[in-house]
Amino acid sequence: MNPVLPLLALGLLDAAFSGFRAYAGRDARIRKHRAVVRAALRGLAVGAVLLLAPALTAGAVLLAADDPDRAYGVLADGGVGFLVPLGLYALAVAVSLLAYFALPFRASTLAMVVGLGPLTLARPLFVAVACAGALVAGGGWTSLLVGAVAGAAVLCVEPFVHRRWYAMPL
Amino acid sequence: MPHLEISDLITVTDPLSGARLPVRRGDVVRLLQESGDPRAARIVAGLPAGRDDVLDPLAVDRLMIGVHTEMQRLSEELRIGERLVHVLGPLFEAIREIAGRRGRFRLVDIGSGLGYLVRWLAATGALGPNVELIGVDLDAALVAEADRLARAEGLDCRFVHGNAFDLPEIATVYVSTGVLHHFRGPALTEFFEAQADSQALAFCHFDIAATRLAPVGAWMFHRARMRHPLGRHDGVVSALRAHTDDTLLRAATVPGIRPLLYEPRGLSNPFCTTLRPVLGIRPYLEDPLRLAMGRASRRLVGAEQLSRPGAAR
Ligand SMILES: C[S@@+](CC[C@H](N)C(=O)[O-])C[C@H]1O[C@@H](n2cnc3c(N)ncnc32)[C@H](O)[C@@H]1O
Repeated sequence: MNPVLPLLALGLLDAAFSGFRAYAGRDARIRKHRAVVRAALRGLAVGAVLLLAPALTAGAVLLAADDPDRAYGVLADGGVGFLVPLGLYALAVAVSLLAYFALPFRASTLAMVVGLGPLTLARPLFVAVACAGALVAGGGWTSLLVGAVAGAAVLCVEPFVHRRWYAMPL
Repeated sequence: MPHLEISDLITVTDPLSGARLPVRRGDVVRLLQESGDPRAARIVAGLPAGRDDVLDPLAVDRLMIGVHTEMQRLSEELRIGERLVHVLGPLFEAIREIAGRRGRFRLVDIGSGLGYLVRWLAATGALGPNVELIGVDLDAALVAEADRLARAEGLDCRFVHGNAFDLPEIATVYVSTGVLHHFRGPALTEFFEAQADSQALAFCHFDIAATRLAPVGAWMFHRARMRHPLGRHDGVVSALRAHTDDTLLRAATVPGIRPLLYEPRGLSNPFCTTLRPVLGIRPYLEDPLRLAMGRASRRLVGAEQLSRPGAAR
């Protein structure tokens, strides 16, 4: 399985959510659908740029390799190991979000407090687990490097968008 | 050791004149240290002050508006508006039943902060067109910001600078969210008495349910969602200061009022109940209210049900 496309999709989705989080809590208006969409797009744009970093790192690894085919195979193995924990994380977020939007207010609060809140806090932890996953899946130090750069990139989206556009209450 | 909220200490308003009083940073830091809360003391020590050690009022206002803006995010996520309408909808239905369909009514939110609730009710029209919506708060900066936000969206509601114990606005129903735990001891009873002595037909005050999970949930939620350490700190302290069911019902037992608690501890899932109200209604409203609530009225209990052995505990 080639993990590049699912990893890219997860990275961009995460960036859009990061844009939303960078904005949330900064705008006390009631009607703000457009502002929410704008924040998500800002996150997406910043994420798209930052995700060039792991892509370039992977490219450099392949260029520097004696045997590019073998290096590609190793990176692909590592990518699958990287994807599995992140996929589980994304699944948990999706279930919590579904519960939050679909359930009546009491249960939806529960989805927020026991689901989405802790999952937000645990993002760096899941990135670390994903890096470990890349190693365990036989990706070697090259996958660890690309994974660490990718993890740093996605974790930087929210603080960047926040500082750039939402440092003060609107 | 008393739990102290930083926001209560750094903004001090003269209750009579409503004037802002100067606050010395060193005094607040000392008080927090003496209360055994060095973390809070450090947060205050980092706030800007003038040469006379008086906290910079403009910086404090900006900080309070920022923290309340983040707090609104929590209210949005916890669906505070829906939670309120779940109880207030039937309450206004009962009031309309008694007062006549064409009456005009007024809801006053006490300690309205940035006025999220009042603005949300105005934006959604959830209580119907004949309910005037007003927010009252002791903090002039928050009142001004609430007003600015309402005008920016063209919402039909207004905000007034005033004190909960000397209410400037008459109301059909007084409400509040997250305010009760700020009033301790006799002040809590005085708060309910002031409303019972007015022409109001009811009050309905929402605050954090005092469960064992509340401080843990508050920590997690504020940690995940709020950026400023002051907001995180006060959020957890609020949960620690939440009044118990007994305290609320006892304090709300004032002449002319039937005190009721919605979703008391024993009747509700502590995981799902974050905020729940204590109500005080004119006694003749109880039957129409229960009728309007339907099955949900099982969760509405008075002191007599709470003290029955094995009931609602
Ligand atoms: C925790 S905040 C809650 C704000 C708002 N109700 C909300 O849910 O976001 C408590 C509010 O009560 C206000 N307050 C405290 N004592 C008050 C009093 N005596 N009269 C009026 N407002 C008061 C504070 O200024 C503050 O805005």
